[in-house]
Amino acid sequence: MSAGLHTKPAVVKAASALLSEMKDATSSLTYAALLTDDGFDVARLPGQTDGARFAGMASSMQALGDAVAHELKIGSCEYIIIASGKGYVVQLRVPGQELVLSALFDNDATVGNALAISRSFAQKMGDLLK
Amino acid sequence: MGAGKTTAIESLSEIEVVRTEANNSERHIADKATTTVALDYGEIVLDGEDKVRLYGIPGQKRFDFMWAILKKRAKGMILLVNSDAADPIAQMLTFIDEFRELYDRGGVVVGISRADVIDGPTLAEYSEALERTNPDLVIPVFTVDPRDRDQMENVLLALVLNIEMRALFGMATAASL
Repeated sequence: MSAGLHTKPAVVKAASALLSEMKDATSSLTYAALLTDDGFDVARLPGQTDGARFAGMASSMQALGDAVAHELKIGSCEYIIIASGKGYVVQLRVPGQELVLSALFDNDATVGNALAISRSFAQKMGDLLK
Repeated sequence: MGAGKTTAIESLSEIEVVRTEANNSERHIADKATTTVALDYGEIVLDGEDKVRLYGIPGQKRFDFMWAILKKRAKGMILLVNSDAADPIAQMLTFIDEFRELYDRGGVVVGISRADVIDGPTLAEYSEALERTNPDLVIPVFTVDPRDRDQMENVLLALVLNIEMRALFGMATAASL
């Protein structure tokens, strides 16, 4: 690939629309971002987080997840969850794309619920870009 | 980006290197297929006893949180500078400033890569720039081919020597007080 997905206006527009739709459908969602595998911000929901910096961090985490799965010989990393007292971060790849969805939910969501929503919207983004 | 950090760790490491790479979407800046997005990790045993843990970290500013994490834990740094990049001397000086605490705590050496494929600054020009901007620092500068294990080992040994000598020097100064 010569240019990243973050440089393609059609992808950025679709990503922004998808995140808005995800927010409208999910009251427990407090932040979400779509980013490239190599750490570029594609789209994000409004929030106090520095989108560029978070995209870098999220891509590192995704790559570390892959490295751990490889090291332990358990195949590829399907998703990553960070749980804290105030909520959960669920992160997973958009199927078939060099894109990662990272979403922050408050405690009104259960982990299973947060994961199911994130999976469904990642799949939707993958379908949109097919 | 593109200085050969991952290749250098591959050359040095005696264990299978842990790599975290993603497809590179900045081919216009560095024409390579993948780029490190978290870290590379390798190990080498020097003199049959001292295990050196090798961490390669991403060069791009958007990964500076990784710099902060590894800076806290490291004892020294080999700064690989891509001679083929835009203004490599300025890049070197920026990273020397960024990682100054590593110099103060351990040691730093500079390896200039791709010096043989581009008519870039000479080794003397890199050294002069360092002396001009950081006259108090002792930072050896080498040209290096990160693919060459012997060359990388020499640079690593220079770093270890640099750290040990400065530690001794520091101890002697403390003892004389």
